[in-house]
Amino acid sequence: MRIRRTLAGLAVVAAATVGAGALATAPAHAAGPSKVSVVHGIPGQPVDVYVNGAKTLNNFQPSTVAGPLDLPAGKYDIVIVKPGDPVSSPIIKVDQAAVPADANITLVAHLTADGKPTLTPFVNDVSKVAAGKARLVVRHTAAAPAVDVRAGGQPVFKNLTNPNEAKADIAAGTVSADVVLAGTTTVAIPAASLTLAEGTSTIVYAVGSAEGKTLGVVAQKIEGLHSTPGGVPSGTGGLLEQRTPWGWYALATAALIAAVGAGVVLRRRVRA
Amino acid sequence: MAALLLLALPGCSGEPAPSVGGATVSALASPAAPASGGVPVQGGALPSGAAVVAPARLEIGKLKLAARVDAVGIDAATGDFAVPPSVDEVGWYRFGPGLEATAGSIVIAGHVDSAEQGKGAFFRLRELAPGDVLKVTGSDGSVRVFTVVAREVFAKTAVPLERYFARDGVVRLTLITCGGPFDARTRHYRDNVVITAQPAAR
Repeated sequence: MRIRRTLAGLAVVAAATVGAGALATAPAHAAGPSKVSVVHGIPGQPVDVYVNGAKTLNNFQPSTVAGPLDLPAGKYDIVIVKPGDPVSSPIIKVDQAAVPADANITLVAHLTADGKPTLTPFVNDVSKVAAGKARLVVRHTAAAPAVDVRAGGQPVFKNLTNPNEAKADIAAGTVSADVVLAGTTTVAIPAASLTLAEGTSTIVYAVGSAEGKTLGVVAQKIEGLHSTPGGVPSGTGGLLEQRTPWGWYALATAALIAAVGAGVVLRRRVRA
Repeated sequence: MAALLLLALPGCSGEPAPSVGGATVSALASPAAPASGGVPVQGGALPSGAAVVAPARLEIGKLKLAARVDAVGIDAATGDFAVPPSVDEVGWYRFGPGLEATAGSIVIAGHVDSAEQGKGAFFRLRELAPGDVLKVTGSDGSVRVFTVVAREVFAKTAVPLERYFARDGVVRLTLITCGGPFDARTRHYRDNVVITAQPAAR
């Protein structure tokens, strides 16, 4: 299928992995490159990914994550084919996809709500998380209706639809989460345990097809978003200052030496 | 002559130079250059907890110190490092690297003292100097030896916490406590004393 350039509305779209040739054709910008990752969320169909005509991912497997790569801002042509197929018979094709500068982006090859292959760009929130916290992002990229995401049995994200995301910064640790059809208790994706490491963002993609009974999840992790504690308060006694007053000892010693020294000088004068 | 001696007083005070080894600490904190090569591809399995070796016991021979190490995090009320309430125990920052780490700063903080309990485990921490030996026993029973490479003193308002709570750079052990002048009104010390140690050569 051919994707309209509405993708650029999200200010995104880039390519997985660009070969040197592709990089050379990208327009030069003063701003920094973007970090671009690619998530494969179409079950049962390995693919090759071409960027600006160069094969950059070979036999890319479903439920895996490629990247991140540094891509200069610019426009990229992306073609996704069955392994070995020519670019003239694409599964997904995006022309002139815009990659902005200085962003962190994930391109997700997935199914639309009605089951057609597509490529959706998401801008990743890589702002720092508070000390002790972790970021959880859930993206609905499955051929399925609206869903609720539950953690510990309670809905945390409600009425999430394809291709949208919900996110929250929560206490780091292990949570058990499942996905139900929105407003129901009908489980779409059974409960799974996931460990949200402090200072990271865990992005969980719901992928596959409800009709095809291939619903599942793919996870992407972004590290290095940690903050420091506000400070290290570790003393309220003030005992350090009541300790041996070295300064006074030194002063007294110096005075003593000075006195003795003066005495010596006096005695010498007397002798002289 | 007396004047000469008085001028020399600051050098006779018996106090060690407050900071030593700062440049070493900066160098250790520099992240390694990323490897270049093909496009990395990872599996998309949900993340599970990695095996972490928590420090369980800290021994510092020079200070005749042997303290239990608790795994601690953030004080929810203040956002500060949750230093263990008992001054006899010290706290390992469980969100940062553990003893198994191959990069980053393993942080242990402890009280210099407390108004209620008196002297803390880290009361004499500022006496450590490059070359002194620290011994840390892990939750798995393993013992790791570290050698002090730096002692630094910063005003709390200026302490570069990013450097000490880093998860990249060379693996190192960082001990933190309070020091400097004490404000009797707020009951806080002005400074943090920071000891940096590297794994001893085997």
